[in-house]
Amino acid sequence: MNILLVDDERKFVTMLARRLELRGFAVTCVYTGIEALKVVQEGAKFDVAVLDVKMPGIGGIELRRELQRLDGDMKFVFLTGHGSDRDYSVGAKEAALYLPKPLKIDDLVDVLSKVTGKTAGGRGENLSQIKSD
Amino acid sequence: MDRKQDLFNYASLALFGRVNASISHELKNIMAIISETAGLLGDLSEMAKGGAGIDPDMLISSIDSIAEEIERGFTTIRQMNRFSHSVDVPIGSIDLMEVLDLVGQLCGYLAFAGKMRIHPCKDTAPIVQTSPFILQAVIYQTVAGIFQKTGPDKELNVSVQPRDDASWQMLFDGAGITAVEMPGGDGIERMAASIGVAIHWEPAEDCLEMKIPFSI
Repeated sequence: MNILLVDDERKFVTMLARRLELRGFAVTCVYTGIEALKVVQEGAKFDVAVLDVKMPGIGGIELRRELQRLDGDMKFVFLTGHGSDRDYSVGAKEAALYLPKPLKIDDLVDVLSKVTGKTAGGRGENLSQIKSD
Repeated sequence: MDRKQDLFNYASLALFGRVNASISHELKNIMAIISETAGLLGDLSEMAKGGAGIDPDMLISSIDSIAEEIERGFTTIRQMNRFSHSVDVPIGSIDLMEVLDLVGQLCGYLAFAGKMRIHPCKDTAPIVQTSPFILQAVIYQTVAGIFQKTGPDKELNVSVQPRDDASWQMLFDGAGITAVEMPGGDGIERMAASIGVAIHWEPAEDCLEMKIPFSI
């Protein structure tokens, strides 16, 4: 599964991406909405975009609309540091799944599988494989 | 109850809500980084149990990252504490440079805010006798209002100098303010007027001036 991870908190992106890669996901990290649009406009294909809601410049909601225009098949998951009822209702209205930060990696993995209908599918370092040995 | 007073009280409470929301968002981001980093250390430990090697540099950088985020968290809590204590006294002596420093830190937590460059005051410390909370609220709402219009890529210059023998001049410029209406809205002028602060707005000159009396 190919994931586009968009969040302006670089350390958060780095750590989360590494953890997802250990679980077999392929992750592309960008830190702004503009970078996300550029990557997709240049032809990169992603099964799902994981977007922070509040970012400087283009926020997650607007970014989702722009990305969907570029790739109608892309699925979306929102992450947020707010977790207010208003955020949940925004997520529901946008017909996207929504997780509050700090998140649990297993919850994110479940949500990614749900929205895409796929599993991680990657090779290399596979944490779940080592755990089951 | 008096409607103007109601609106004034609401504006003050709204400021508290806005600042606390931005601080809580910052603290959540910090917790999220610490959580993911700790989670990564857990993942690496699991892999080590299964016989995989661990890169010591990755361990060190993860531990350093946690330490940095804890320090960032403490800094955020210090700002929250400074803000909370601004209502300790209704009227008191305050240093305008300290108010600007706190406002700069608090505005930094807003996703849409650019950078605030506070120029040192060349003269003696600009002390005023005023309502610390209301002055802070006026400056915060003005700066937030400017950045809402100009965006996160802009840098706002702020300077303080003597205006005359009864007031200080606080100048905001350089962020490309061109909107017609007053950043922060009409409520800001009313709030400012309550402590004798006059706001003069010149969009064509990309400049906003606050005249702050030495004493209310």
